[in-house]
Amino acid sequence: MARREKKVEEYDVVIIGGGAGGLTAGIYCGRAKLNTLLIEKSLVGGLATYTNDIENYPGFPEGSTGIGLMNLFQKQAKRFGVKFKLTDVKSVELEGEVKTVETFRTTYKAKVVIIATGGRPRVTGATNEEKFLFDKGISFCATCDAAANTGKDVLVIGSGDAAIEEGMFLTKFARKVYVSVMHDTGKMDCNEIAKEAALANPKMEFLWNTVVDSFEGDDYLDSVVLKNLKTGDSQPLKVDECFEFIGYIPNTDIFKGQIDLTKQGYVLGNEQMETNIEGVYVVGDVKEKFLKQVATAVGDGAIAGFATEKYIAESEMFHDQIIGGEITGVVYVYNAADAKSRELLTVIQELEEDNTDKFRVTRVDVYKSLGLANRLGIKEFPCVAVIKEGKVDKYIKNITKEEILASI
Amino acid sequence: MNEIIIDALGEACPVPLIKAQNAIKEMAVGDVLVLQVDHSCAMKNVPEWARKDGHNVEIEEVDDGEWEVIIEKA
Repeated sequence: MARREKKVEEYDVVIIGGGAGGLTAGIYCGRAKLNTLLIEKSLVGGLATYTNDIENYPGFPEGSTGIGLMNLFQKQAKRFGVKFKLTDVKSVELEGEVKTVETFRTTYKAKVVIIATGGRPRVTGATNEEKFLFDKGISFCATCDAAANTGKDVLVIGSGDAAIEEGMFLTKFARKVYVSVMHDTGKMDCNEIAKEAALANPKMEFLWNTVVDSFEGDDYLDSVVLKNLKTGDSQPLKVDECFEFIGYIPNTDIFKGQIDLTKQGYVLGNEQMETNIEGVYVVGDVKEKFLKQVATAVGDGAIAGFATEKYIAESEMFHDQIIGGEITGVVYVYNAADAKSRELLTVIQELEEDNTDKFRVTRVDVYKSLGLANRLGIKEFPCVAVIKEGKVDKYIKNITKEEILASI
Repeated sequence: MNEIIIDALGEACPVPLIKAQNAIKEMAVGDVLVLQVDHSCAMKNVPEWARKDGHNVEIEEVDDGEWEVIIEKA
């Protein structure tokens, strides 16, 4: 990996992030014969690989491990020719028709970028936390670190689905699983089934109304100081490992200033997964949405993959047929669902037959997609755009043969 | 610039991470560590740690479920 000139590679689509959303988008793009690259910073599968059991993803009545399920997704994407690159994206340039995605060694150029970057674990922000992150006593992955805590005492922070389910998983290994919950006794953020099971589990002990004040230890975590929100008392708790499950922060730092984000940093996208920039889509947990699940990420991915194919086809049509070519173009933009629009089709037809040598006629039906109309800057239909030298020369709203011929 | 290859195949977490951390301490800036792993958990904590410490990381999937984590010391 010696220093060398940066390579430049071109793709139709670059998907940033290899979780459920990105992989599904890949499957759809690959299957649509688009030259597709998926960039993942480490392990393909995203957040789902941090969950030991996925019980609610349809089609797997016995449930599945997160890694197992995501391996199947990846296999399917590979089958459709999606290429994978395991590295992190340093920066992006998203405006314009050609987008740029920079990694350590390669510059990727693409017509479409799909943002599928998901999120990363939220931390408590308590004193000394940095010192013990990942391998020094604070973990975010029970699946990864449970076995190493066999017979030991561990602390779980949080009371959401992830916290409680992973906590239950930990009881299979650890001697004792303490759970720090910031809410009042009996109040948890997880689903009712998990809550009942957890409260009945003899290895679990709940510490209500508590938050982390500090993490203590020399090289490795030795104890966690918990502050009681009701009494204000702080008590150290001796543990071998602390697992934090208190939510996720969207990975959107590299998009700041280019893409519209919410205050929390999630990417804003519409039902078609479009962002504020043309040719840039967003899927999965990084998108501002109601429910973040593998099943919803899959839906996002399918939509974005489909939209990508349409967008690229439309771009090609726009360049090759509509604004390209030597001779003057006449573009009839209409809505097939509108009677007046349909009547005028015969006028356009006659005009075309009489003037094949003088100009080239294209029909654009906005009923299916507004994409081409938007590119032409047309908001009301029917409308004719006269194209000269690759640009719109004139718009005609009062469509008659005479009017059009006078504008050529 | 030296390249060091560490075989951590068949090793479970946190062994690959500790091996990588020990190796990188002995390396000079610009040296490259190639860590061979086949436990998916190492694919999470090794790149995470290396990037947090500012090193450049790329991963090659050598085979199904087998990777080379390539770390250039910064």
